[in-house]
Amino acid sequence: MKRLWLVLLMLFAGPAAAQDDPYQVLRSTGEGYAAVEPGRAFSFPADHLPHPDYRIEWWYLTANLKDAEGRDWGLQWTLFRQAMSPATDTEGWDSNQMWMAHAAITTPEGHRHEQRFARGGVGQADVRLDNGAFAAWLDDWSLTGEGPSVLPGRLRFSVGEATVDMQLGSDTPPVLQGEGGYSRKSAQGQASYYYSQPHIAVRGQIVQGGRPVALTGTGWLDREWSSQPLADNQQGWDWFSLHLADGHALMVYRLRHDDGKHWLSGSWVAPDGTARTLGADDIALTVLDTRRVRTPTAADPKAVRELPLVWRVRLPGLGREWTVRALIDDQWMGGRVPYWEGVVQVDGGAGGMGYMELTGYGR
Amino acid sequence: MRPAEPERLGGVLRALLSHYRRHPWQALFLLAGLVAGVALWSAVQVINSHARASYAEADYMLGAQATHWIRSRSGAGVAPADYIALRRAGFRQVFPVVQARVATADNAPLAIVATDLLALPTGDGGEALDEADLDWLAFIQPPYQAWYPAALAQELGVAAGDRLALHDGRRLPPAVIAAREQQGRQILMDVGAALSLLGREHFTALAVGAITPAEAARLVDALPADLQLEANQQRVDLTELTASLHTQLTAMSLLSFAVGLFIVFNAVRFSLWYRRPTLRTLRLMGVSMRALTLAVLAETLVWSVIGCALGLAAGYGISLALLPGMSATLQNLYGAVVGSEVLLDVRTVALAWALTLAGLALALAWPLLLQLRGPVIAANTAAAAWRDDARARRVLLVGAAGMVLLAVAVYWHMRTVVGGFVLLALVLFAAAWALPALLAAAQRGLGRALAGAPLARRWIVSDGRAQLPALRTAMMALLLALTANLGVETLIGSFRTALADWLDQRLGADLYVNSPRLDAPRFVADPANAGWLAAGHARTGVTLRWQGRPAKVYGLDTTTPDTHRLPLATAAPQALARWSAGAGMPPPILANEQAHYLGGLQLGQTVTLPADDGPADYTVVGFFHDYGNPYYQFYLPREALERRWHAVQPTGLALWLTPGASEAAAEAALQAAGVQPGEWSAQGDIKRLSLKIFDRTFAMTAAMNTLTLLVAGAALLTALLAILHERLPEFAQWRALGVTRRELLRVIALPLGLFVGLTWLLAIPLGALLSWLLIHDLNVMAFGWSMPMLWSPLPALKLGLLSAGIVALVLAIVLTQLTRKLPQAMAQLGSAS
Repeated sequence: MKRLWLVLLMLFAGPAAAQDDPYQVLRSTGEGYAAVEPGRAFSFPADHLPHPDYRIEWWYLTANLKDAEGRDWGLQWTLFRQAMSPATDTEGWDSNQMWMAHAAITTPEGHRHEQRFARGGVGQADVRLDNGAFAAWLDDWSLTGEGPSVLPGRLRFSVGEATVDMQLGSDTPPVLQGEGGYSRKSAQGQASYYYSQPHIAVRGQIVQGGRPVALTGTGWLDREWSSQPLADNQQGWDWFSLHLADGHALMVYRLRHDDGKHWLSGSWVAPDGTARTLGADDIALTVLDTRRVRTPTAADPKAVRELPLVWRVRLPGLGREWTVRALIDDQWMGGRVPYWEGVVQVDGGAGGMGYMELTGYGR
Repeated sequence: MRPAEPERLGGVLRALLSHYRRHPWQALFLLAGLVAGVALWSAVQVINSHARASYAEADYMLGAQATHWIRSRSGAGVAPADYIALRRAGFRQVFPVVQARVATADNAPLAIVATDLLALPTGDGGEALDEADLDWLAFIQPPYQAWYPAALAQELGVAAGDRLALHDGRRLPPAVIAAREQQGRQILMDVGAALSLLGREHFTALAVGAITPAEAARLVDALPADLQLEANQQRVDLTELTASLHTQLTAMSLLSFAVGLFIVFNAVRFSLWYRRPTLRTLRLMGVSMRALTLAVLAETLVWSVIGCALGLAAGYGISLALLPGMSATLQNLYGAVVGSEVLLDVRTVALAWALTLAGLALALAWPLLLQLRGPVIAANTAAAAWRDDARARRVLLVGAAGMVLLAVAVYWHMRTVVGGFVLLALVLFAAAWALPALLAAAQRGLGRALAGAPLARRWIVSDGRAQLPALRTAMMALLLALTANLGVETLIGSFRTALADWLDQRLGADLYVNSPRLDAPRFVADPANAGWLAAGHARTGVTLRWQGRPAKVYGLDTTTPDTHRLPLATAAPQALARWSAGAGMPPPILANEQAHYLGGLQLGQTVTLPADDGPADYTVVGFFHDYGNPYYQFYLPREALERRWHAVQPTGLALWLTPGASEAAAEAALQAAGVQPGEWSAQGDIKRLSLKIFDRTFAMTAAMNTLTLLVAGAALLTALLAILHERLPEFAQWRALGVTRRELLRVIALPLGLFVGLTWLLAIPLGALLSWLLIHDLNVMAFGWSMPMLWSPLPALKLGLLSAGIVALVLAIVLTQLTRKLPQAMAQLGSAS
């Protein structure tokens, strides 16, 4: 699972309340919005487009890239949609849809990120078919498809003065997570619809300081929508998407519970795109090391957090295990909803590369 | 300094200050004078510097920088689609702004400002949302919110949650009492709320945040043909445009400081009088001049600190009270946005203290030191006082004559507003300084005229000799206050009349329409409207800069009734006919008076304006009145305008109804043509709104005027109480000789009445002179508006009654004091000198 908490959601709580607990909104009942039920039939390319009856939704893209000298780069680009009320959306200034976008690049020099906001209904941000082609955008950040599908497509955005322009393509079909795309988040019934595109070939360039750098690598797209994703006793989560050297892709996460009985889930995707859902018994996650990381936000520019940046990921059923380690410590997303998200190495890079997301860690 | 001296100095200082313990009312008056003077002066300083600080923020918009504006050449506003296209092209520093003026149900003007807070380029994009008091879900969602600054909400009587009704029945979103930076007296709402409230489809403009020259060039290339990028010069414009107004306020505050100083003079005079024995004793005891001088300086310092601190505190309070009026003035006149929170800065405090110290040095230290230098044992009689006073009067008279000469010299070389106020100050103070000599002469003359009259009458008149030295400064203060009051009253009255007449002439049409949706020429030409429509005037215009200031050129229809009767202040022969015909080379143009008086344009001169394809030359054939407009303005026949400027904007439509036609028919036709309710106004509504704006604009001046008069009243009271105190033994003697209380009161009241009456009489022509200077010179130099001066005896009579009231009140106080103190004074008769 991914990023559920990353909610635009100070919308509902004032900022002060949000700082106390940014996740509270995710635990509200979602009454009035469409409910997530098992047994939904997914349909592509239609499901790439928004589902405005649900409260929150995102298009979440990460990529592990290498330059000509073999150095590691990474990028993250996310578009969040949020319905501010259960009412039917009206186009125009009265629209109840809100958009937020996050972008980050990890370069050999370090990590940079940016956030943006826009209201829906007026065309400043949206996800829709544009002349028959998929288009998701907020201002000049965009993810566009050549046809009605996201892929093959193109990702363009900027972080500060650095601009990113990537071609995306994939030969494998989308992976429906959980039970046919119904992804359970707790024993109490919280769930989301969730599918991924784990094998995306990425090729393009990042222009930094006027200097273009050609990059190639592998990307991962997550699509998720829900109305009530978190349970009351869940504080945050640790999430991994790994591209392994043998061509497999692995997604595992744990939702941390107050009582230490965490909710674990994941999927094991073969190079040909066939996937197997992983349950709690299939996954073992162990923190090997924590690091003190500067985690500034606008409200708290001097904050430092103790974050678990080295992990052992074990799949006992498959007899496989890996050491996952942050490429650099400082990959902090210090926006309005702060979290750590960044490039990780699998077994020092020899086993593969990936992305890790850590949320809900207090100072 | 010898070791013993500090203690001795302390002793001397204590001896000097002990006077105030015995006569606490003198301390009170001294302080009252200082506080009154410093308070008004510092209040205006605080307001001025606050306004200037607001201008410095004029290139900020609701907390975001606005270095440039994107506006439509045609005046249609900016289409949201064009805005979105710019955002999607990566111009994230661009954000939408809707600004509008609406009127409340009782016709008070309201300014609305709207933007999309989510799009404001503040920092990393999230900051605008991080403000604790912002519930932006409610702000950007129906039914939306209308943010009122607290002061404005209070003025309008709006409480949180209220939906304020407008003149045309529309209602604003629910009220929230809150304000953002640079909101000023405007009501803030979401851009979606404003568009729906105003029935508009276009933004007023787009604001552009910080942008590099390279990005700006890219932005210009990205703009559609109808939109243009212009630098935001509001900061410069506002500073320049409002300079005169601030000078005027400073001048008024200095006047009240001067009036305050008169009270100090008064108080000091008596503290000097009373302390003569103390000083004499101290010197006879062998206290050195040096120690005495130091003690006097120390006393001055003490008073300056106390007076200044209290004055600043009071001034801060007054500035809070005056600020809403001042903000309204600035917003109405110049469109300047002035916030509602004020700060006392170090500069104001330091200046206030320096002024107090200088004033005290003049009023307290200098006379005290003079006294020290004088003979140790001085004559101490009324005759001596009169002799001293006569000498002082002569000195003042000579000074007055000098100031008159200087004033004449200044008048011939007066070019700036500051120069104008120097002239006014010279005239006022010359009159004030000449006043004591005049009053003494009148008293002498009256005495001679009554040479054969009964003793009582002669006695009463000649007692004026004993009162005049004490009343001198109070009378001078009163003259200043009365004159300033009359002068400003006449100015405001003349201005209001000129404005009302001008509105009557200019607003001849029945309905005024301002709608982006209306094709005005087609509407006027439509035969379907012939039934009710007698005439229609669709104006067009372009905004440009002339002589570094914003200027507007309007294109008028030369055939409509209002153009035929265009009131011109000055014009060449046959100006309107020549202008309509476009006869002559370069073609004729009309300019507003501002272009004449402030821009230096003369009748018959050629004016060059930046047209679309190069400079365009015109001959100025006339100047029209244009009250209330701080900008330059020109009129051309519409075709002439459209020949040289291609993207002219429609600037409104005036409609004349056929006699007997109903306004309802006109309104129905307008609505059928797509005009929304609220986009037209009836003639009467516009006039009422204009006069209301005028009255608000001068609210600040009127408040200052009243305060100054109050200070003068206080000066009079201090003087009379001083007289009472000083002469109490004398009065006791008279009572002992059998003079009744009634006769005693007459002795005090009649000379006082004579002096106040003469002062008031003198204030009438002086006030007229002052208003003449204000209207013919200062107003023209400051704003570029000329108007006929309308003198009326009413304000003078009103002030006469007010002065009489003050005198009566003061006499009543004096009488009760007299009743209370006489028995004791009589008991002490003969016991002391």
